[in-house]
Amino acid sequence: MFSAPVLTQVLINGLSLSAIYVLIALGFTLLFGIMKVVNFAHGSLAMLGGYALHYYFGEFKLPYVVAILLAGLTVASASMVLEWLVFRRFYQKMFQSMIGLLGLDIAIVYTCVLVFDVYERSIPAALDSMVAIGSVSIPADKLMIIGIAVVVLLAFWGFMSLTRYGLAVRAASEDIEIAEAQGVNTRRIYQLAFFLAIFMTAIAGAIYAQTYALSPFMGERPLMVAFIVVILGGMGSIPGAALGGVLFGFGESFLSTFYGSAASTFVSFGVVIALLVVRPWGLLGKPER
Amino acid sequence: MSNTSLNPPVARQTAAAPRGMKVLAIGVLVTVILAVLPHVADNAFILAIGALILLNMIGALSLHLIIRTGHISFSHAGFMGVGAYACALSVLKLGVSPFVGLAIGAAASGLLALVVGPIVLRLTGKYFVLVTFLLGEIIRLVLVEWESVTGGSNGLSSIPDLHAGWNSPLAQYYIALVAAVLVAALCIRLLMSETGRAMDAVREAQRVTECAGVPVIRLKVGIFVLGCALVGLQGGLLAFFMHYIDPTTFGMTDSLNLVVMNVLGGMYNVVGPIVGAVFLVALPELLRGYVEIQRILFGVALIVVMASFSSGLVGLATMLRRKVHQ
Repeated sequence: MFSAPVLTQVLINGLSLSAIYVLIALGFTLLFGIMKVVNFAHGSLAMLGGYALHYYFGEFKLPYVVAILLAGLTVASASMVLEWLVFRRFYQKMFQSMIGLLGLDIAIVYTCVLVFDVYERSIPAALDSMVAIGSVSIPADKLMIIGIAVVVLLAFWGFMSLTRYGLAVRAASEDIEIAEAQGVNTRRIYQLAFFLAIFMTAIAGAIYAQTYALSPFMGERPLMVAFIVVILGGMGSIPGAALGGVLFGFGESFLSTFYGSAASTFVSFGVVIALLVVRPWGLLGKPER
Repeated sequence: MSNTSLNPPVARQTAAAPRGMKVLAIGVLVTVILAVLPHVADNAFILAIGALILLNMIGALSLHLIIRTGHISFSHAGFMGVGAYACALSVLKLGVSPFVGLAIGAAASGLLALVVGPIVLRLTGKYFVLVTFLLGEIIRLVLVEWESVTGGSNGLSSIPDLHAGWNSPLAQYYIALVAAVLVAALCIRLLMSETGRAMDAVREAQRVTECAGVPVIRLKVGIFVLGCALVGLQGGLLAFFMHYIDPTTFGMTDSLNLVVMNVLGGMYNVVGPIVGAVFLVALPELLRGYVEIQRILFGVALIVVMASFSSGLVGLATMLRRKVHQ
């Protein structure tokens, strides 16, 4: 059971799952860390990314890399309208945001049911070929997904740690009032963080929809993933989201390969509940107060 | 979480006895109207919807109790499922009488709450919401995966009536009415008592309440167990009404519906979940064929309610009444 092809498969699956999960969770944790909103509409925004990729890549036949970046940009730009209409009313109101954004989630999902339909669609794979490394062959589109996610994550990391705006975003996530007192334009930072968060979520959703299936209701699972990863790593902590995503991605890949998907779900939920009970602020978060 | 208290506390204390009588009078009046209703509007469709509304009121009210202690549970439909399955299984496999089955269902759900309650109720706010979100999903997964007992996705079928011959819409309406009135009376009485005031206090300022000598965790667990047992009762009744249960009835959407009933109606007033249940069950039935639009409207309504008046429809009504009085 632990032969080289199987282990490679576990490794590659783990990497591609981790890539998706980290992207989803980073968006979620950014919104939570800076604006203190629990984004229950996260899954439906990821779903919109899936539809955008479906049109750009599946219908308009753009090159894959262009299509997926364009999908992220489109959804992120369009959701700036939602930011103005809905999200900004819930900033720094954690409790109200949960239920209000749940409403937004329902509204987006059923609008998509009206605009598209309820049936599942599939997005064609980016590449059909297999890459042979030694004795094992790996589907090339998995490598492509991993590559794209790594590039986006590196760009995000570079932006956050090397630019002035990244510094302002980090300052705002540490302490919003002090950041404001230092002359950070919080309204602008909110919009910037929101845009980045939704950009990453939409790209993750696009990859997710391509790996599994695209339907208006597909957002439930990414939302669950965002919860689990963010709780694992610590709510609001950016390195925590990365660590949690990798742990959860590899854990799921390993468990579902050897013990089935039900076992993997039970274990991951169980671990998260146990962690919430003993250490609610997660692995890398910091306790409140 | 701000509570819009309707009366100042002093007035509430001095007017306690007359207020109790007033509430009792209103309750009896509403019950009588509902009991006479079938003789005025003898229509199977209306009766079936009526029964469904009354059943959902049980769930919404029991969740309301938990919400009043400051915890929004997103696994309430899961507990309903535990009640429904325990009830149906005890009737089908052990052959107990349906009424005993109802009690077993409620007890099973309450017992599960007693086991998980002391652990999860130490969490507050967002952490509680997230953990119950996952807990509800685990319960649903267990119902799906434990095929040898629960029948998996196929569910359990051929569940008998609550009592031989009680399967007409009229009978079901009256069963639901009796159950809902009893549950509502229990909830209202509880909320008007010392315990009810302690619950509000725990939500508003847990530390202060603890200092005032209220055993906070014990109170929370007690209310959680009671709320879950009551929703288990609803699950049992649902099983007898539908004669068939499967895991899809007890998933995330249904937990959300119960929360939405409370939020739309008004979270901090016992009338809230009652109004919310009427809205959320009756409206979909009246707007059949426009399911998507109606869901979108619910979503928008949730946003508007949470952004503008977090005290819900009941809060809006009091606000308007005050405006008129001034």
